[in-house]
Amino acid sequence: MTARSQFNYIGKPLARKEDRRLVTGHGRYLDDIVVPGALHACFVRSPHAHAKILGISVEAAHEVPGVVGVFTGKDLAQWTNRLRQAPRIEGLQPTEIETLPTDKVRFHGDPVAVVVASDRYVAEDAAELVEVDYEMLAPVASLEAALAPGAALVDDALPSNLVSHQSFSAGNVEARRKEAHAVVEATFYQHRQTHVPMETRGCAAVWDQGREHLTFHIGNQVPHPLRSALAGRLGLSESQVTVISPDVGGGFGQKIALYREELTVAALARHLKQPLRWREDRSENLMAASHARENLCHTRTSVAADGRILGIELEIFEDFGAYCFYPANYMSRVVAMILTGPYRIADYTFEVKVALTNKCGNGPMRAPMAITSWVMDGTIDAIARQLELDPLKVRRVNMLRTADLPYRMATGETLEDITPAETLESAVASIGYDAFHERQRALREEGRYIGLGLCTVVESTTYGSAFYKTTGIAGSGHEAAWVRIEPSGVINASVGLGGSGQGYETALSQTVAEGLGVDPSMVRILTGNTDVAPYGMGSRGARGGTAGGGALYLCAQKAAEQVLRIAAHRLGLNSAQELRLLDGQVERRINNEWTGTGLFLTDIARTAYLDPTNLPEGVAPGLDFSLTYDPPPMTYSNSTHACEVEVDTRTGRLTILRYVVSEDCGTVINPIVVRGQQQGAIAMGLSGSLFEQVVYDENGQNLSATFADYLVATACELPEVEILHNHTPNKRTPAGIKGMAEGGVMGAIGAVSNAVNDALAPFGVAATHQPLSPQYLRSLLRGRADRNRQEGQD
Amino acid sequence: MSDKRTITLTVNGTTREADVEPRRLLSDVLREDLGLTGTHVGCEHGVCGACTVLIDDKPARACLTYAVQMEGHEITTIEAVGEETLSPLQQALHEEHGLQCGFCTPGIVMTFEAFLREMPDPSEAQVRDVLSGNLCRCTGYQNIVVAVLKAAAVMREKRP
Ligand code: FES
Ligand code: FES
Repeated sequence: MTARSQFNYIGKPLARKEDRRLVTGHGRYLDDIVVPGALHACFVRSPHAHAKILGISVEAAHEVPGVVGVFTGKDLAQWTNRLRQAPRIEGLQPTEIETLPTDKVRFHGDPVAVVVASDRYVAEDAAELVEVDYEMLAPVASLEAALAPGAALVDDALPSNLVSHQSFSAGNVEARRKEAHAVVEATFYQHRQTHVPMETRGCAAVWDQGREHLTFHIGNQVPHPLRSALAGRLGLSESQVTVISPDVGGGFGQKIALYREELTVAALARHLKQPLRWREDRSENLMAASHARENLCHTRTSVAADGRILGIELEIFEDFGAYCFYPANYMSRVVAMILTGPYRIADYTFEVKVALTNKCGNGPMRAPMAITSWVMDGTIDAIARQLELDPLKVRRVNMLRTADLPYRMATGETLEDITPAETLESAVASIGYDAFHERQRALREEGRYIGLGLCTVVESTTYGSAFYKTTGIAGSGHEAAWVRIEPSGVINASVGLGGSGQGYETALSQTVAEGLGVDPSMVRILTGNTDVAPYGMGSRGARGGTAGGGALYLCAQKAAEQVLRIAAHRLGLNSAQELRLLDGQVERRINNEWTGTGLFLTDIARTAYLDPTNLPEGVAPGLDFSLTYDPPPMTYSNSTHACEVEVDTRTGRLTILRYVVSEDCGTVINPIVVRGQQQGAIAMGLSGSLFEQVVYDENGQNLSATFADYLVATACELPEVEILHNHTPNKRTPAGIKGMAEGGVMGAIGAVSNAVNDALAPFGVAATHQPLSPQYLRSLLRGRADRNRQEGQD
Repeated sequence: MSDKRTITLTVNGTTREADVEPRRLLSDVLREDLGLTGTHVGCEHGVCGACTVLIDDKPARACLTYAVQMEGHEITTIEAVGEETLSPLQQALHEEHGLQCGFCTPGIVMTFEAFLREMPDPSEAQVRDVLSGNLCRCTGYQNIVVAVLKAAAVMREKRP
């Protein structure tokens, strides 16, 4: 089913408007912006995971020709405010972060000082000459170490390293356990990863002493919240700061927070009254930008003999790193809230524990709740294994059907307009579930091990203000838009999103075109400049389509109303009811037929701006509209991923043979863009599950700070993704848009793990950890082999 | 530190001069001294391929090359490709949605402009193999592969 037919411009596969400049090298990323006379900053970073700063000597660095200054945390403390993170959430410890640390460093890569010089090379030379006298402290290099009794404190202001602890209970899981046919336990460890946008972080700050105004160039996903944070931390008003975020070379959640380096650069530009810029190198990005994930989940599930889930208990631990750039409960809490996803489960408890360690601080990364579907569908597979049932049957027996909707999850979240049973059936049909098992049996006889993994995702998107309110997190989920029809009839429009490759200029122009009734080529979308765009909440949490596209669509409808009112007046009609705009022409319905009136948007625009005495009574001159829109508390998309793999049991090498996804993400604004997002999200999930890993040794030394150590999947390792469509609009959002682009990560992580476990089933082993590296898979198989040998000896 | 010398480079068929330290990277000279910012820097350690330019018509990493080494060589950057109309490869990347943020794209264009000249009828496996020298975080590579194969077909048809 598709909602496309009811629209004229939404749903069209328009090729992207932004491509021309990008394929010819004329994009304008942060580092391409020339700022005349700009100085360069280079940060001095801690070589230790945890150490007291006894002294910093900057004299040698100062003497390097070209060095303008060397600054430390003490300097920055005079010019900036600390970051306080203290939403009133039960069990969450308030934290504070200095701009640069003055007392101690908390992870390998922590910035301790900054050198400002005429040139990046000189700044780097001089940074090597800054000497920091450290007194080593015990490193807290793992979750276990963080939570062990008597552990060294990462943040001395807290009573322990347990920075956040929440629990929840619905129904009666203990009673369910007693009446259960079996209780199934399962473990899932998702390793530490990082975002790796191909463009690293950076910024350029220009302080205008005369106007007392800061212009801040930066690639960022949330320009307005960033501006508020920047102004607040610098003690400026929001009207004294302009954030300009031009083309952005990927964000994936890394470019949301105001980082300490960026704040430092802004403060120093003002202090020195000279423009200053900074570009992070790749090692800094891998070591110190922001990390993500690293959580350990246990489930304990009470089940009936047919695999029906009676109750589920979840325990999550997250290693949050050294600093809270976000409230520490934020990511894991969402996992816990939506865990049960597509399944009918009323009895549910969770416990979420988040600990600080001496590692780089965590932040949201594309699908901050990535582990959710792996945990849930991995639990289903564990049930099937223990009860010797077909995993597909266990899914079917538990899955929500259309008749169950809207469904209130045990956590109180409401699911509606989703189709998990349908995506499951279409994915298994497409991948040929039954035929696969025949092939699997035959190949096993030849000593080849293939596996099929399923994962059904219910993806939370577009967090509305009501969601923030109920979870106690400060902030809003609204978005803001304006649409301006210019005197010549062309349209400029803007929204508070900050794009980083999602194709907003194209897709969002389609939402404006739809609301107004013009061709998308007439619409220009202007984002990423806080002086131009309205104050919106930016791009994160897959909200671009629903919140951003929705706001623009509604705003364009508001514009259309006014245009048609003027048109009616010009046509001598009493009302605009029988009028519409299509392809820029006013059409009139006569006997149920739409016919052109010969009046065009250009005519109306000219009247509105240049001949206002001809406007109907009460209509003000000009055609300038704005609007804010707050989406429902949450919208949900869903999908089922099916992945076929082969494991070479001699080497542990994993090959993906086939990948099918059936997805329902509501009304599709632009199918080309949506397909690209699906492919990209799945690629990120697979790359993360198979290769990527931030590695710290037991002393907290980061061992993965180059692309030779932190492996990102290349074109040789990723499969072709087959996509099946299954789109049902959301009844509560403008145009039925739901949001998407994170579910692909969630599904990929689960599907590939489940496939590996299916392949390894004959050996009686199951992977509980990622990445699914050859070494890890071999160690599982070897463990089994060793056991066999021992058993043989007994 | 600053012992600068004047070097003469041939970039996109034009002779350019720059005053540079011997250690200055070609990527920085192109971007900062010559204002050709289409060549991107994604890792500065030779892995990501974003900085790929052509040196004497062969793809090379500008981040692993010192500008002073380039005297007497011809350098071609993304700015020389598709100036008036898009090249078949650029056109195919556009049509097949082979880019999202576009940061990796110039490096990919330069890699395959050279590759398709030498290998006009590549297999998908060959394209993937060569493409594995360029990291793209956004697309999952699938559409890039399709675009390269499409460009190859278009170019084969155009050949006399
Ligand atoms: S910047 Fe040269 S290979 Fe990455
Ligand atoms: S398009 Fe963003 S890195 Fe390739």
